[in-house]
Amino acid sequence: MHDKSIPFEAAIKWIKKETRDTATYALKVKSRDIQKGYRFIPGQFNMLYVPGIGEAPVSISSAPSDQDLMHTVRVAGDVTTALSHLKAGDVIGMRGPFGRGWPFEETGGLDILIVAGGLGIAPLRSVVRHILRTKKMAGAHSRRMLFYGAKTPKDIIFRNEFPRYREVFEVLLTVDRADPEERWRGETGLVTKLFDRAALDSLRTIAFVCGPEVMMQTSVRELILRGVPEERIFLSLERNMNCGVGLCGHCFFGPKFVCRDGPVFRFSEIEGLMGIKEL
Amino acid sequence: MLKQKLKKEHLGLLFDKLKVTHGVLGPKVENGVVTLAEIDAHDIPSGYEDHQQPGGYRLIKGERPEIFSFSIGPDSFKRFLQPPLREVFAFRRAAGISITRPGAEQRPLAFIDMRPCDLSALKLYDRIFLRGPVRDPYYDSLRRDSLVFVLNCLYPNDNCFCPSMGTGPEATDGFDVALTELSDSFLLEAGTAKGETVLAGLPAGEVDDSDMREKGARIELCRKRIKKFIRAGELPGLIYRNVEHPRWAEIAERDLECGNCTQLCPTCFCNSTYDALGLSGISKKSYQVSGRRMRKWDSCFSKNFARVHGGNFRPSRRARYRQWMSHKLAYTMEQFGLPGCVGCGRCITWCPAGIDITKELEALKSAR
Repeated sequence: MHDKSIPFEAAIKWIKKETRDTATYALKVKSRDIQKGYRFIPGQFNMLYVPGIGEAPVSISSAPSDQDLMHTVRVAGDVTTALSHLKAGDVIGMRGPFGRGWPFEETGGLDILIVAGGLGIAPLRSVVRHILRTKKMAGAHSRRMLFYGAKTPKDIIFRNEFPRYREVFEVLLTVDRADPEERWRGETGLVTKLFDRAALDSLRTIAFVCGPEVMMQTSVRELILRGVPEERIFLSLERNMNCGVGLCGHCFFGPKFVCRDGPVFRFSEIEGLMGIKEL
Repeated sequence: MLKQKLKKEHLGLLFDKLKVTHGVLGPKVENGVVTLAEIDAHDIPSGYEDHQQPGGYRLIKGERPEIFSFSIGPDSFKRFLQPPLREVFAFRRAAGISITRPGAEQRPLAFIDMRPCDLSALKLYDRIFLRGPVRDPYYDSLRRDSLVFVLNCLYPNDNCFCPSMGTGPEATDGFDVALTELSDSFLLEAGTAKGETVLAGLPAGEVDDSDMREKGARIELCRKRIKKFIRAGELPGLIYRNVEHPRWAEIAERDLECGNCTQLCPTCFCNSTYDALGLSGISKKSYQVSGRRMRKWDSCFSKNFARVHGGNFRPSRRARYRQWMSHKLAYTMEQFGLPGCVGCGRCITWCPAGIDITKELEALKSAR
């Protein structure tokens, strides 16, 4: 097996600008052998490496059945800035996939509720596309919902894909504030506001949540208030993932290695840790 | 398993034998402390005694008759099996990226005088780096070829608390050979076939019941000399129940965040990787670059340890100290099934502020 501490080459196939600070990179693993053995599940992440700059953990935003392996990146630090200077055809390093993904096997027969905030839509887009693209997924859930909150309408990532999502999902959008110059028909306010609009059948609901930590905390609290069982709420946490394989310690969340035990956690597993500040 | 005695004047023969195939690491005085280095038998600082206290270490020439008359210094196996800084690979980016891994490692290592506390830390390291979901190839190759001679302790220092953690003063398994210094000789007990092979070529004295009794008595005496104690039986609950204890903030006021404890702790394993570029590594065509990817020891006391872009998960010193102590006394057990503290007391001795993990745990026990 490939040594997971050594990056392999991945060529940038195309780059698509999503919003003013976010872009999607389609990557093609150069080595055939590695590409053949490369399998991931939605919710897993890769370490993207720009030699001379460093590595950044980025979740995979495409579905396993998609032709292209995609990563959606917001310009935030050195590595993501360096990525933003690259163009199609350039080669970067990649290690992965790492971590535990979303538990599809537990969603059968239930209402699947996807709650995303900001860039948190990226690992959940992998779920949405997986459901859209996989025939046997059709009819697997009694109901499908996607709630998404962004800062402003212009910050909504994958906006052009939402019409397709609406064919299979009930999609509700909200923004922190609407630009006056743009007509905005969605909600304004926190993503939790959308829970009231949807009339959840809480005992039949399984929720996948990803976004800023505060947004996830409020979402979980609201879901529990509505009676969604803690065992059926899943979150994807962000930490300082560095090695990806539980050997470097940077992503500790209490006793959990977020890179290895997560990034997707069942809420009941981490409930005791969630409320502790600066853990 | 093979058991035999070796006369004290023949200790050099063991070194000679090992040196053919191994780099032999043992205790040596450097800069006024006992450190580990490649040594000969005559380098062992026989007769020296170390006096340790919170934030203090003194080495003096004493009266003890033993060759191994001293306890542990700041060094442990960790510096050799998982070096503070090493190259993961060299890279060169032009049209593509080429990666070259460093060549084969140095010759195998033999650890003479590894103490039982450190042997427990080594067992933890094996779980972390060999039995996790991913094997660390560097550690694997060094560890596989290494020989471990554990030395049962006779003289603890005042910061030792291995009996509380169940890690000493006697080692029971996990070594190639266990040494116990008796009055006139060394008792050598093989723990593995590799260890038996080493013993086979040495002038062997027969071991009788009185030798085993002497071993037991000497270790018992050492156990009685140990002064510190920790409530290991109440772990990890004592930590988990007290995450918001006011003591954490109080420790943060004394804590200098020098990171000494994490560097000396034989179980601390956290590290970071980064790209090292020489000035010549950057070409005029900025896309072309070459350098080395390095891995270095890191410390959860460093401010950026838990930083992500847009925020820091542990901005306060209080949280960083709590992270360290909780990892030692609670999380490691959950993560790897072994205690993250082996009771060696190094973090107490080498803390410039004299922070004492045994006292801090006691303080968590007291009412808020």
